[in-house]
Amino acid sequence: MKILVIIPVFNEEETLRGVILGIRSFLSEADILVVNDGSTDSTARIAREEGVLVLEHPYNMGIGATMQTGFIYALRNGYDIAVQVDGDGQHHPESLPFLVKPVLEGHCNLVVGSRYLSDGGFKSTLPRKLGIKFFSSLIWIFTGTRATDPTSGFRAIDRKTLELFSEEYPSDYPEVEALISVYNKGLHFQEIPVTMRDRQGGASSIGILSALYYMVKVTLSISIGSFRRVK
Amino acid sequence: MGISLNLFAIIGSIILLLVILELIRRRYLQERYSLVWIITGALFLLLSIRVDILYRISNFLGFSIPSNALFFFGLLFLVLIVLGLSVITSRLSVKNKILAQEVVLLKKRVTDLEKGLRGPA
Repeated sequence: MKILVIIPVFNEEETLRGVILGIRSFLSEADILVVNDGSTDSTARIAREEGVLVLEHPYNMGIGATMQTGFIYALRNGYDIAVQVDGDGQHHPESLPFLVKPVLEGHCNLVVGSRYLSDGGFKSTLPRKLGIKFFSSLIWIFTGTRATDPTSGFRAIDRKTLELFSEEYPSDYPEVEALISVYNKGLHFQEIPVTMRDRQGGASSIGILSALYYMVKVTLSISIGSFRRVK
Repeated sequence: MGISLNLFAIIGSIILLLVILELIRRRYLQERYSLVWIITGALFLLLSIRVDILYRISNFLGFSIPSNALFFFGLLFLVLIVLGLSVITSRLSVKNKILAQEVVLLKKRVTDLEKGLRGPA
């Protein structure tokens, strides 16, 4: 089984090296692909120095498009499993083997690493909790499945899901919608408990206004999407 | 409507039409997007020459004054145009994303192939 770990990065020079080292020690059999979404700092140079695979967007295209570029690369280069790990050091590489395992054994098509399944001690703010609650309810309404951390970007997917995401993946704030499109395609996702650190560097990509936009956009997209015929 | 205002409207419509034609000639405006503007310009010209058409339409639809009918249809038209432009922009941004992704993947392939040609490292 060929595994590709995709790290979408936008100005992550402080943390990228650590993330790569972590992946190498806990999932040594995997290839690592950094997709640089138009960073303006030394992120790209660090990735090349580390000798990992690097793809470079000509300009900033958003997290969704960045992941999709990685998915298409994985699909065309014969990978069986793709893993998404954020470049900011939030995701503990120790969890990687557990994240990959259910997909590797064919128990499900997509695995989400959830901060909230265990009492891993991830401190969350009230607005974030409310946001997560909101998205969990959406997932429950549209799929009948419980998801405790639907916005988590710590994920592993199999080849069927790779095919789906290569065709269609939302450009911005893709996580929640992706779960629903997986469900609509008749594929299955499950969560496993992981611990996440507070971010190691850089700034969170989400402010109040973008959080609101996130919720409205995803709700709209899912609601209207449910009236689309499934291909 | 006074004769001078009428003349002003006619001249304005002609200028609009000329600007549209000039934009097409310089290829600043593609023919497929220009059609709607040519029709608009022609309609303006028609309405300024034959103001009675506007009066009749306005009367028929029950507007209290003809200018209201003009504003109403003008606004409606603009909303439709802007909506159409949003659709075009959305389509373009999807195409643009796919194009960029293909370029990124091709670039990677080319560098990999070049490395292979130079002999394994």
